[in-house]
Amino acid sequence: MKALEVQNATKRFGGLVAVSDVSLEVNQGEIFSVIGPNGAGKTTLFNLLTGIYAPDQGRILLFGKDITGFTPDRVAKEGVGRTFQNIRLFGAMTALENLLVGMHIHIRVPYFHALFRTPLARREERRAKEEAEKLLDYVGLLHRKDELARNLPYGEQRRLEIARALALKPRLLLLDEPAAGMNPRETEELQAFIGRLRDELGITIVLIEHDMRLVMRISDRIAVLEYGAKIAEGTPEEVRKNPRVIEAYLGKGAAGGAA
Amino acid sequence: MTGLALLLSLAYLGLAFWAPGALSNLFGLVALGAAAFLRLSPQARTLSLALLTLAFTLGLWRSGNTLGLIGLVGILVALTTLPRIPNWIRALLGLAILLVSVPLAGFANTFIFELGIQIGIYAAMALGLNVVVGMAGLLDLGYAAFFAVGAYTWAIFGSPQAQNFMQGNFPLPGEYMYLFMGIAIVTTAITGLLIGLPAVRLRGDYLAIVTLGLGEVVRILANNLDHPINFTNGPQGITPVGRPPIDWFRDLTSALGIPLDRTTDYQLFFYFLVLLMIGLVVLVNLNLANSRFGRAWTAIREDEVAARSMGIPLLPTKLIAFMTGAAFSGAMGVIFAAQRTFVSPESFTLLASITILAMVILGGMGSIPGAILGAAALSILNLDVLKTFSEFVRTSLPQIPSQVDPAKYERLVLGIILVLMMIYRPTGLIPEKRHRAEMEEEA
Amino acid sequence: MLEQILVLLPQVIFDGFVLGFVYAMVALGYTMVYGVLELINFAHAEVFMIGAVVGVEVFRYLGPHIGNGFLLLLVALLLAGAISGMTAILVERFAYRPLRKRGTTNRLVPLVTAIGVSFILQDLVRLIEGLWHNEFFLRMRTVEDLEGSFDLFGGAIFVQAKSLILIGVSILMLLGLTYLVNRTKLGVAIRAVAQDLHTASLMGIDPDRIISRTFLIGGSLGGVAGVLFALQYTVITPYVGFLPGVKAFTAAVLGGIGNIPGAMLGGLVLGQLENFFGTYLPILTDGNFGTEYKDVVAFLLLVFILLVRPQGLLGQVVREKV
Repeated sequence: MKALEVQNATKRFGGLVAVSDVSLEVNQGEIFSVIGPNGAGKTTLFNLLTGIYAPDQGRILLFGKDITGFTPDRVAKEGVGRTFQNIRLFGAMTALENLLVGMHIHIRVPYFHALFRTPLARREERRAKEEAEKLLDYVGLLHRKDELARNLPYGEQRRLEIARALALKPRLLLLDEPAAGMNPRETEELQAFIGRLRDELGITIVLIEHDMRLVMRISDRIAVLEYGAKIAEGTPEEVRKNPRVIEAYLGKGAAGGAA
Repeated sequence: MTGLALLLSLAYLGLAFWAPGALSNLFGLVALGAAAFLRLSPQARTLSLALLTLAFTLGLWRSGNTLGLIGLVGILVALTTLPRIPNWIRALLGLAILLVSVPLAGFANTFIFELGIQIGIYAAMALGLNVVVGMAGLLDLGYAAFFAVGAYTWAIFGSPQAQNFMQGNFPLPGEYMYLFMGIAIVTTAITGLLIGLPAVRLRGDYLAIVTLGLGEVVRILANNLDHPINFTNGPQGITPVGRPPIDWFRDLTSALGIPLDRTTDYQLFFYFLVLLMIGLVVLVNLNLANSRFGRAWTAIREDEVAARSMGIPLLPTKLIAFMTGAAFSGAMGVIFAAQRTFVSPESFTLLASITILAMVILGGMGSIPGAILGAAALSILNLDVLKTFSEFVRTSLPQIPSQVDPAKYERLVLGIILVLMMIYRPTGLIPEKRHRAEMEEEA
Repeated sequence: MLEQILVLLPQVIFDGFVLGFVYAMVALGYTMVYGVLELINFAHAEVFMIGAVVGVEVFRYLGPHIGNGFLLLLVALLLAGAISGMTAILVERFAYRPLRKRGTTNRLVPLVTAIGVSFILQDLVRLIEGLWHNEFFLRMRTVEDLEGSFDLFGGAIFVQAKSLILIGVSILMLLGLTYLVNRTKLGVAIRAVAQDLHTASLMGIDPDRIISRTFLIGGSLGGVAGVLFALQYTVITPYVGFLPGVKAFTAAVLGGIGNIPGAMLGGLVLGQLENFFGTYLPILTDGNFGTEYKDVVAFLLLVFILLVRPQGLLGQVVREKV
């Protein structure tokens, strides 16, 4: 069973076709990257996967289950976590609280228990806090747990956002430009981190990225989008040599001399 | 600095003893300002506040001048918000004020009981609205509708009114009021569901105007459901509404040596009942704020898209906030009805809804002490200051036409407060930590 | 019962138009401001009320001096338009602009400010009228020229001259506004700012000035509507703006918020619906539920449209890119 199957997904905004008949498959435990020039439809594709938009045509299957048209909260419940291109942390909440929000689905406290702070409620809160702290530790942010999220340095914010997505206990993790704004050293750390996520937690990861070095080094497979359509798919080697891809990035005629 | 503050406090203590009254109370307020805003050591500050508590209590007991009540409220605010005062002192002084000072003041001037009860009821409702507006960020402009539903729930059955459409032995005996507080919570929650279901789907401004409209619909219904079947007795309202018997309370107080007469007995009772309710409401508020619900509401308020991506379902979560706020109002509505023994649609107008909103905004959206402060400030403003000002104008400037009676200008006061707050201090007087962070981010 | 309904129908429709044109003119103010600022200008109801008060005072003081009723009305309309327009500009300048400059994206803040301004204006007018005349209920002085009436269709419709004047002036104003928005430079600028304030400013359009002008136009229309309202319904109070204000906003939403022809259409439709409901409800329910429920129509209609077709009759769905 594939972790993710996208079948002929299409999304239009008025006259603009943002995603055009895109199909792809992601295997379980894979690190899969989606690349392409700006405006190629990558984030729109993510938004389709997470239910923020419903596709005009096509289907989306998550571990075999059809989740086409599910609302974002249902998609999250199915085990899909994501980060955003422009970090969308809850800035006025602490790092710990951000993670606790991420754990919302897993904190099983019914309303009336919360109202009266019953022993069940207290137990679940304690358990959730412990798990959240463990997660913070895992991403190396435990020392920041009571800091307001928006006071954190940029790199730590990105890590926190990933941690928050992990708090969901996802089977599939979508990372939208996780390396944006990072220097080479930070990118290397990120690369190692993403690898750990896959190796230690067994999560399937789909990335949108512009940093080609990161993409080439970390991905098992890559899909290339241009103007909303998929123009190539394959291993990093295959994609690197694909003339269509080279043309998309460097313009017509570049395919001849590029390596 | 230390000397000054202590000196002022002591001076006021003296004044309160020898020359109690409005002027000495004003002096006391200045002394309070010194104790609160000057840079003092925790010990000095605590001592000053303790002295002032004693002084205001003394002054109130001897003169009954309501400015003293403002002083006590101010001390309570100081106790809640000033840093580095030992918690046991906060608790001790706070309880002393609430359980001893105010009742003493009330015996000197029964209007203070009225004021205290009104502040209490509105404070509890401000706390309820706080959940909706402050925590979840849903601008509800029709909150008084829930108050109305709660009040009428008891008023109809706790008076002969119900006989107009039902078989049964009405009015129900007074002790049913307690049961009806629970019933009112249910009826208001249902009303909250009915109004919330359409409203909560909508974006901020549309939500606001829809709640305004539906709130008005409830008032129109209350005003007109006297025919074909008389449910609410229309604009005349319902009276007399039953109150619970308080023989046990009278026995208790006489055992403690507290003298009560036929007016003060019920006033003291309702005062303590309202205090108890506020305590419960605050507790429940805190519990929710620190639960996954409170966090979900804050998340939704900050970033709906991100919140949904965390698995938080927007509609149910917002609805729960809405219904919770409504339920608080319902319980207080029952007490309101029983205390005044009279309800009419006039108490539940748009002005009432906006007043409660103003309390939340003035005090600080999302902030629990803020909501209580806002309720105290506006209640005192409307019921006391404006009234006193009105009397002053009427007696000293009798040529002023009757239409210019200051007591009629509640809206003006409210409007000015709202506009000034929004332009200069949208986080309120006692901002909630998260809100302060949010607002600062935008600045 | 059916016969009763049919007999009243022509009058109901006519009265519905009268009411509808008032709503249409006020709705325009709401829709234009919402178009450029995405703000429900609660204070617009009070601008309408101020127009009505100006109308009453002009008739009170200039009535004895100006013989011709139509001339008197013209003066009232011009003065009310000017004063209401100025009020609207002042409100924008001192209450809304500081918030806009702060750059807050929080939508609650401007809305609460609008409510505050609304309350302030209500009581300010009350204060002024209280000090000036010690009156709360203000009565529009009747002027002979304008009190004519006649029957149409053999008594089927009773038509007052005032109503015809109201309809006439409204249509003139609506045509004038349509011309202004579609054929003038100012109109283009307003539409540009409504679409995308930032880009419009990059194109050399001063958004502050345009927003000011928008408030002026909307406010003037509201003021004119106020005078006509006072003329038609004769008694006004400082709080007379609130209910028509909410209803006019509903009309704007019904037609499609931000859409000018929509506001006109919405106003007319709402006027008809409300009048229908108000007249026929007692008949249909045998007197059990009377005209007091007609206000409920507007509120329920608002909820209904927002749930079923939030873009209104003439509006288009706007998709937001995430």
